Amino acid sequence: MDLDAVIRECLEGSPSAWETLVNTFAKRIFNMAYQFSGSRQEAEDKTQEVFLKLYGALPRYDSGKNFTAWLLTLTKNHLIDEYRRTKWEKTQRDDFDERVLAQTAHDGPEQSLVEKETKALVWEGLNRLSADMRMVIILRDLQGKSYEEVAEILDLPLGTVKSRVNRARIQLAQVLKEYRGGTS
Amino acid sequence: MTCERIEELLSAYLEGELADAEKAEVAAHLAACPECAGLVELMKETSGGMAGFPEAEPSPELMAGLYAIPAARRERRRWFQPVFDFLARPALQPVYAAFTVLFIALSFVLFHPEGRGIRKQLNIQFHKGIGTVEKLYAEAGTLKGEIGALSASVVKSFNNLDLLKGSEEKK
Repeated sequence: MDLDAVIRECLEGSPSAWETLVNTFAKRIFNMAYQFSGSRQEAEDKTQEVFLKLYGALPRYDSGKNFTAWLLTLTKNHLIDEYRRTKWEKTQRDDFDERVLAQTAHDGPEQSLVEKETKALVWEGLNRLSADMRMVIILRDLQGKSYEEVAEILDLPLGTVKSRVNRARIQLAQVLKEYRGGTS
Repeated sequence: MTCERIEELLSAYLEGELADAEKAEVAAHLAACPECAGLVELMKETSGGMAGFPEAEPSPELMAGLYAIPAARRERRRWFQPVFDFLARPALQPVYAAFTVLFIALSFVLFHPEGRGIRKQLNIQFHKGIGTVEKLYAEAGTLKGEIGALSASVVKSFNNLDLLKGSEEKK
């Protein structure tokens, strides 16, 4: 798919081009918002807001840039700004419900109970990280971006991103240890 | 290496990004330090938990809402366009200019570092103005009385003149 052509058609007012753009990015943005906020309702609202922003900002998009990185930067900025404005970290995360979150491609019946428990603890543990740490771990480990892509999205030097990812992983591991300690 | 220094290298160690010498140092530390070794195990477990993390599907309602954004924007523009057109009329430009000047003057008075002095001066001038108006009003009252008295005396003089004329005609 030629993304530049789709964007050009979007700017010309083509509804099908907009639908293509939504189909391409909605799931990614929704999951980023869901992983960040922990609430399905919140994630739906934020996804809607991000796409509204995208629609307004599309004429300002510089076609020479990486569109995905540009959109993820826009999403990251919106999520962190809203997080700081409303402090939704006080609200509880949705339960880590396999029926809601599971994708059969990854979570087959062979997946061990321990692995599922770890995933649930990681999901809970994300709430204990600061906004910046949470965002970096979502992009690197949950969305599977390379360090270079994360640096581009967050507009940070590569070294800062690597060190932030390392600290976030350590914090998450410590949260896991705390949970385990509490339950054992 | 200290535990703090080892912690800084753990992600790079787990991702195999360290140079051989550093890698050997970290491995040696981990073999000797159960605390750091435990942390590495937890980090491996966390990474395992995050790999292939389940993803949620956006609801059909959300997708419908996203598809509808351009139409909703166009509809909103259709409603607000007349208002924007009205507000953007050239005839209103002097009004906006006057308001801008007023706001600049107001913000200058309110937020200028010397604003307190300016406000004090304005207050003094304002009260002086009121005093002058009151004085003028009082003077106008006196003048009114004087004019009244003068007009009465003029009327009286005319009346007397009429009386004199009458007596001359009788003669």
